[in-house]
Order: sequence, then C-alpha cells, then structure tokens
Amino acid sequence: MAVYKSKKFRGRPLSIITIVGASLLLLFYLISPSSSSSKAQKRPPPAIGGTKSISHYRLDGLQSTWRSFESHERVLILTPIARFYDEYWNNLINLNYPHELIELGFILPRGREANSALLRLEEAVKRLQTGTKKNRFAKVTILRQDFDSPFSQSEKDRHALSGQKERRAAMARARNSLFTTTINAGISWVLWLDADVVETPTTLVQDLAAHNKPIIVANCYQRYVDHGENKIRAYDFNSWQDSDTALQMAKDMGDDEVIFEGYAEMATFRTLMSYQYVAGNDIHEEMQLDGVGATALLVKAEVHRDGAMFPSFPFYHLIESEGFAKMAKRLGYQSYGLPNYLVYHYNE
Amino acid sequence: MFSMMNGNPFPHTSQTFNISPHRFQPRSKRHFLRRQPLKRLLLLLCPLALLLFFFFPSLRTLAVPSLGTRIFRDDPLITTVHHYDLSKSAGTGRGWEREERVLMCIPLRDAAPHLPLMFSHLRNLTYPHSLIDMAFLVSDSKDETLLLLNTFLEKLQSDEDPHQRFGHIDIFEKDFGQVVGQGFSDRHGFAAQGPRRKLMARARNWLLSASLKPEHSWVYWRDADVEVAPPTVIEDLMRHNKDVIVPNIWRPLPDWLGGEQPYDLNSWQESETAIQLAQTLGEDAVIVEGYPEYATWRPHLAYLRDPYGDPDVEMEIDGVGGVSILAKARVFRGGAHFPAFSFERHAETEGFGKMCKRMGFSVVGLPHYVIWHMYEPSVDDLRHMAEMEQERLRKEKEAQEAAGKEKPDGVGSAAAVSDSGESPLKESSREKDPLEMYENGEGFLDSVRAAHLRAAKQVAEEMKAQQVAMEKAKAEEAAKKAAAAAPGGSGLKDAKNAARKSKDAKPAR
Repeated sequence: MAVYKSKKFRGRPLSIITIVGASLLLLFYLISPSSSSSKAQKRPPPAIGGTKSISHYRLDGLQSTWRSFESHERVLILTPIARFYDEYWNNLINLNYPHELIELGFILPRGREANSALLRLEEAVKRLQTGTKKNRFAKVTILRQDFDSPFSQSEKDRHALSGQKERRAAMARARNSLFTTTINAGISWVLWLDADVVETPTTLVQDLAAHNKPIIVANCYQRYVDHGENKIRAYDFNSWQDSDTALQMAKDMGDDEVIFEGYAEMATFRTLMSYQYVAGNDIHEEMQLDGVGATALLVKAEVHRDGAMFPSFPFYHLIESEGFAKMAKRLGYQSYGLPNYLVYHYNE
Repeated sequence: MFSMMNGNPFPHTSQTFNISPHRFQPRSKRHFLRRQPLKRLLLLLCPLALLLFFFFPSLRTLAVPSLGTRIFRDDPLITTVHHYDLSKSAGTGRGWEREERVLMCIPLRDAAPHLPLMFSHLRNLTYPHSLIDMAFLVSDSKDETLLLLNTFLEKLQSDEDPHQRFGHIDIFEKDFGQVVGQGFSDRHGFAAQGPRRKLMARARNWLLSASLKPEHSWVYWRDADVEVAPPTVIEDLMRHNKDVIVPNIWRPLPDWLGGEQPYDLNSWQESETAIQLAQTLGEDAVIVEGYPEYATWRPHLAYLRDPYGDPDVEMEIDGVGGVSILAKARVFRGGAHFPAFSFERHAETEGFGKMCKRMGFSVVGLPHYVIWHMYEPSVDDLRHMAEMEQERLRKEKEAQEAAGKEKPDGVGSAAAVSDSGESPLKESSREKDPLEMYENGEGFLDSVRAAHLRAAKQVAEEMKAQQVAMEKAKAEEAAKKAAAAAPGGSGLKDAKNAARKSKDAKPAR
C-alpha cells in the first residue's frame, strides 16, 4: 500500500504541492484574524451602553468671511496626490494660518507609483503629527480611491490631448470623493492645493480669504532655468474668461465633447488669466473668471455644500475644475482670479 | 472492403477502435531527470514560503506589492490621522452580512406630527441598527420638530436593548428661507414647484455633504411622512445591488376617493416628447411631473404597479422620487447630487436621477414593491369631508329623533353622549376653516394621523414645561452666584445674561 502511494505521488509532484499549499492556506484563513481584508470598514465600535453618540450642529452659524483668521474659521486643505514632493510638504507646513484650524485631506490613486508616494506621505504626516504641538494639524484624512486611474503620470502622457477627457474625469472623481467625505459641519473654507504646487506665499489662506469671494484662484506659474538664468513661465491655463469663439464652438459640439484649454488644436481665444500677470502690479487685483484651475483654489464651503462639484462628465462641454466654475455659476456663485498673485508649480 | 464502404462513411471495421496513441508510452528518462530538481526545489520552497508568510506577516508585502496597503492603517497613538480605503466601502448586495455601514438621511421641516410614526418605523428596521448612522436636517421649522426629535433620539439611543440603538447620529439645523408654505395645496401647486424643488435640493445637499463619511457604503434617503413601509426595506432594496434604487410610492385614500392612489410621480422613464419639450424650454426652466402644464407622456413607475406583481421586478428609470432612495455611497462620492439648478431641465431628485444616468450609474425602480406615503387631505378634500360629516351627523340626529320618540329618554341621551365623544364635531366648528381643524387634530378626522398629532403636542408641551423649569432653576442659581459675587450692582442683569448664555450654548465639534 505504502509503496503504491509513493509511486502514485512520485509521478505528480504538482499534486503534492497543491495539497500542501491548499491545507496551509486553509490553516492560514482559519487562524489569521479575519479583519480588514474581506469586511467593510468599521467605525470604532458603535456605542452600546456607553455614550448616546448624538451630535448637534448649527450650520446657520457657519461663516466664511474676509476675517477668517480672527473669527477662527476652519479650513480644509484638499490634495489629490500621486507623487510626493518634499517641497510641497514643506510649503504646506510653512503656511502660517493657525494649524489647529486646518484639516488636511489626501486622496491617492491605486497602483505602485502611488504606493511609494503613500509611504513618503505617511512618514511625513507621522513626523508632523507627533512633533511640536504648534505645527500639528487638527485632523488628517488619507483616502485611497475606489477606482483605477486610466492614465500613467508621466508628464508627456498627462498633457496629450487625446487622453485628457479620461484623465480629467478620473481627477474629477477623485476630487469629489475627497471633498464629499471630508467636509464636515465645522468647515468654513476649502482650499484645493495640488500636490505639485511647491511654492506659495505663507499667507496663502488669509490672502485669498481676504477677498471674501465664493471662489477665488491664484495664478499658477512655473520656475525654470534658461541659459543659467532663473525665469518664470505660465503653467495653469484652466483659469479663463469665456470668448465668443469658445461659446460658438460649444454650440456646434456634440453632447459628449469637451473643450480643453491650452491646445493648438482647439484655439478658443479665451482670455487666459496666466497671461494677465504683470510683474510689479498689485497682487490683490481681481478679475472675474468663467473657468478655474484647481492648483491653488479657495472655495467657500457653502459652494460645495450647495452641490457644486467637479463634473466627471461634459457639463456645458467643460469638465473637472472648469466645469466646477460653470456649475457654481449655475448655482449663483461667481468665480474670481488674482492674476498677479503667483504660486509655483513643480518643474519636471 | 469496398462493398462495406459503399454508402456508409463510418464502416464498422475492426480498425475503428484500434487507435494506437492510447498505448502507454513512458516519457524519455532524460526529460524527467532534467525537470526533477526544479520540481523538488519548488516542492520545498512553496510550503516554506507559505509558512514564513504565515508567521511573519510583514514579509507578505514583498511577495505581493498590492498588499502594500497594509501600511494603510491608523496608528492608535496618533488620533488625528485617519486612513480609509474607499474600495472597502463600495457597497454590495449583501451589506448586512459584510457589515457595510448605511447613512440614513432624513430631511425634516415642520415634521413634528410625523415623528412618532417615523420612530416606530425606525425601531422596526431589520438592518442591524449599529450599522446605521443617521443624519437629520431640521430646516425652517416653526413647530416642535427639533425638541421632539431630541426626545425620541435620546430615548432610542438609551434603549435597554442594545440592538435597538443606532450608530452615530448627527442633527443639523439650517434655515434656507422658504418660498412657499408647507400646506398640501401650497406645496403641490404648479407655479411653486421649480423654486421649491431647488430649495429642497440645497437642503439635501447640505445634509449629505455634512454627514457622509468615508466608511459609509450606502446612503438611504427617507422622508418622515411615510405611513407604511416594510421593515426589511433596506435589505430588500440593497439585494438588487444597483447604484440607485427606489420603490414605488403610493398613498392610501379615504374610501370615497377610491381607497388608494399613486403618489410619487417623480420616478419615470424618459420619453421622446419630454426630450423635445426640454429643448424648447429655457436654460433655467424645470420640468415637473404630474402637472397638465407639462404633458410629457413618460411611463411613470407609479402607474405600472400590479398589486399581485412580483416585487422584485426591476425597471430602468431616469428620474427618481425622493421618498425612499437607496444609493451606493460611491454615487455621491463620485459627485452626483441633487441639482439646486436646472440640470437638463430638471431639479432635485429628478435631476439627481438624470445626473446619475449621465455619470453611468444604474438607476432602477421597483414597480410592484410599494411604500405607502401618508395621506394629507387637500383643502378640497377637507371641505368635502366636512360636508360628509355634517351630512352624517344630520342623518344621525334625525335617526335619533326618530328613535327618541320610540325609546325611553335615558337610553337615547346616553347614545348621543357616546356619539359626540367619538366624533367631537361641535356645532360651532362648522364655520371653522377645515385646514385649521385638521392641523389642530380636532373634529372629524378620525385618523391615525390626528392621534399622532395630539400625542406629539402633548410630549412637546411636557418637554417645554421641563425646559422652562430647568431654565428657571439655572437662572436662579446664576442670580444667586451673581448676587454673591457683586452684591450691589448689576447682579440681576449678569444673571440674566448667564442664563441666556447657558441656553444658547450647544455642543459643537
């Protein structure tokens, strides 16, 4: 019998592996804690017997005013993050709006590249939140998005016109996931700050809030070196005033088509805020906008609460942050830009 | 041979079964030997690796990089940092087994009379209560909604049976200003629809954005004024595993109006006529269903009901009604909301349905699965009822008079007393406005609703009395303290201020 058995198995080492493997796996699943992997996430155990866990909020009392700083208004800084730059982080912790009034929200795509960003982010957050009390932020929420991003993050791919619609749609979904789950009853302002914005004035929040506009965006530029000379150039073309050409283009388009700014294939002749910058002019000069970029964008929380979001579908032939400005306008909120107030984008 | 093949392509010859490859052929020895060491190595390594992974979980990340999410976990020592993998709150068809959290959103406005019934519905829900978080928005209410709500919630959350208690409960207060009254005829007049729906949409969005958390897998919208709903409603809807799903909403009617009636006409399928109509309208126009002004010829979920139909039958729809919506949280996370502007010529829940469709989510209605909305009589109905009641009383009186002539006095008067006790319609109330009477819960409306209303009022009054007493006590205490601190001065004033402060102070996060 034993001889027969050994003969039988000698011919099929695969079956042995399968049997051993299967039994081990079984053991593993039986013994290992049945936590997170299969079950949905839980809150800290629901109050049984303890507190009644009833909270009461008056949303009437919420303000978002130009004196944000003095009236202790809470700010939510939101960043979709796929790459982690130390410059971004340092800039963020150098913001001199009281940190105890700031909540942070990050959302990461799925995938390997994001994993490394996550590691570095985790490390940075941990260092900060266990460090000096003064520097700590009130709350940090790190989300992993529930869908796959259809794009790779290389600079060339990111800006090709063909992939723009999918890329911007995924970005819009990420932004929506981020703000709908992190905005809570105490928040007065939402600052959208992109992960590749590496240099802003330390008074960014106060400066933008001081204008007391529902939506206000800074001008995003990029530093570069040309023949050993430090120069700056326009980077974000999503902040603009509409033109008749663009409106006409939109009229002639099919329902699912989108106009993108900054491509030679689509000459819109819109007034771009990027090109309205004049060195040395008053940084607090305002201009009305019809589309906004989200690189450094301050929004009153009520705008989001009323329903303004980043459309992931063509909304008046606009998508993401440009569509957001349009939706806000449909809700009665006008967007503004500060052409001479510069923030700087990372240079790849 | 040839004769056998003739006409038969598969002749039975002895060779038919003689297929030579079926003989045992040993593998070449060289081949076997070459593969042997590799297999042995594998055989050794696999269990070893599995064992290693088993005892040292940290090694798992090395083998499968996607397990790198392991670092994606809250550090118990850092209370201010929270991690959520949104794919874990995706929502499935068996949420109650997988412990998926449901956020139940209930907008309230002058809803005090409905609260007792609403809470009895909440208690009966079979979905595990600890998995349900609730969010209430009390807006523009002039009655005791907030006070009552608090009382009921306190009671519910300190229930003896821990399974009755719900998860976290948020109550939000926010006034949006009101364009129209909340009476049935005010609310349902045609002209009022557009602006009214836009305001309600804002309210819904505020409620959702303030209460939706990353751990929620589902969002269940429910109106307070539901008369009858199956206690398993959440599971019943969830089982279909759709992004957005609504039941059919009907309402019971008095017998003289036909017994029952389709109520919610906001769940419909799009029609060609409606699409053409939409193109002729201005950017800000809102098409509303159920009014002759906009004949859309859409198939309505409500009219497709068959009382004996299979409750699991699904129907694709484009607009949804708001009485009872179950949606996956990822729908709202994706950005879908209740448009407070005209989105493709629709607002609020109908616009929500349209937007979900636009974003590629599945929107489904169940024509034969019914939830019963409360019956609120219109002014005409009330007048009609008043007339009917008077008619009835007149007839009764006549009958009594007729009977009184035949029977001894004592019995007749006793009958009269018990009659008036049951339906306390007095002679004087004939001139009264029927709406007012209805709202006061007096008179001929011998319905459950009137009883609830009375009960609610009573509770509210008791609560008020309690609060007044407490405030008085507090004020006295404060006055004593103030008097002790500053004996000759504005002690009383300070005390008053202190009392006011203590009244205004509300717990806030």
